[in-house]
Amino acid sequence: MWRGHELFISSLPVLVEYIPATLFYFLVPTVISLVLGAWICRVRVGKKNALYWLVSLFVSFFRGTPGLVQIYIVFFGLPKIFEPFGININRWDAGIFYVIATCCNFSSFVSEAFRGAYEAIDKDQIEAGYSIGYSRWQCFRHVIAPLTMQIALPNLKNLEIDLLKGTAIAYVIGVVDVMGRADKIIAQHRGYGQIWILLAAAILYFLINVVIELVFNSLTRHYSRHERGIA
Amino acid sequence: MNLNVKFMISDIPTVLSALPVTLELTFASLFFAILLAVLFGVCILKKIPVLKQFVIGLNTFIKGVPLIVQLLFCYYALPYVLRAFDGVLGYTYDPKHPSYFGFAVVAFAFNYGAYMTDVVVSSYRAVDKGQLEAAYSVGMSTFQAMWRIVIPQAVVISLPNLSNYFMWLLKATSLASVVNVFELLATARASTAVNYAILEGYLVAAGIYWAVCILAEQILKRINKKMNRYQKTVSAV
Repeated sequence: MWRGHELFISSLPVLVEYIPATLFYFLVPTVISLVLGAWICRVRVGKKNALYWLVSLFVSFFRGTPGLVQIYIVFFGLPKIFEPFGININRWDAGIFYVIATCCNFSSFVSEAFRGAYEAIDKDQIEAGYSIGYSRWQCFRHVIAPLTMQIALPNLKNLEIDLLKGTAIAYVIGVVDVMGRADKIIAQHRGYGQIWILLAAAILYFLINVVIELVFNSLTRHYSRHERGIA
Repeated sequence: MNLNVKFMISDIPTVLSALPVTLELTFASLFFAILLAVLFGVCILKKIPVLKQFVIGLNTFIKGVPLIVQLLFCYYALPYVLRAFDGVLGYTYDPKHPSYFGFAVVAFAFNYGAYMTDVVVSSYRAVDKGQLEAAYSVGMSTFQAMWRIVIPQAVVISLPNLSNYFMWLLKATSLASVVNVFELLATARASTAVNYAILEGYLVAAGIYWAVCILAEQILKRINKKMNRYQKTVSAV
């Protein structure tokens, strides 16, 4: 508390420099998970073959265990998998392990959001698409994808915000992002002012979340731009 | 890839012995989160000036900040608060044995309380206004109408959302291992200190979390089904 606000002011610009790192650990899993999640969703709404059960098991595991445990398992387990092939990945950056773990986790959640939305769309729309001669790809591109996206967006927004907040726990395996840097500053100032450094980090995370919220609000407007005509 | 399977099997009872701590943490946090959510919800629903704006602002901020930051914040900040209360009402502050469990509960309660406030507000508003009027029309007092008519319906409406948050909370308690709470994950890590079978310890922890989550999901599904048994007749009319 004593002179703490000075620490707040001095650590803020240092932490701001690590916003790009946090955004990197947010955007890379986002892009990969949207693709992977869409694929998982496609498998899970399809035939119940071996692939379906395998993917379902994957989704169940990554939805049923804490993200922190998954990060640890990937961090300690992946080098063990690569070991027999004579590849040593122990020197890889901790961020890579975080991204791999998060992609598995996040794509599971995204796939469920997509699946829920896909099951909610009016299947007549798809038939109508085929009836005017759309190919499967055209039907997906012009009918299924926009409708699913529109329904999944509110869910997706919550997931994305959770993902951004989730990047903060990456520091436990040594990833240096906003929280990782804050942890280092705390370690440098043993025993005092931790609250102020954390407050600085909290404000930065909050501001990034505000931006994400605004982006998603405009996306929601974009995807529901046709609604007005019907209503 | 050579997993120490023998150790994994022998490690299961050790890790399982910490499951009560995780559940305790979950239920304690859930209890205080619901308490806070109802308190916050009343502030918003009754439109109490200043308090309403304060609650909305606080909730917005809490929802925008990572849980781990809040946990660490409570971990570092609450000792100062407790020290300030030293000597009040016979309470003595003991700096050597801080209650890390309690600190974690405070952080979880505020985080999930913020989310559950929305559930409380929306499920109260989802109850048909006519229900309250009908209760008044048969001569119930406000308290009776609330307690017997509105709240039971609001609880049923809020249950699916609450069970969702319960599942999130159950998994989120693993974060408390970072702030010195000896729950399932921290115990799993500590149990591997003997032979450095770190991955095996975490796999055991993951397996137990997975099993508990699946079990909890099934139980919650049952409860939801049971609670909804009155809803069906209404919608059938």
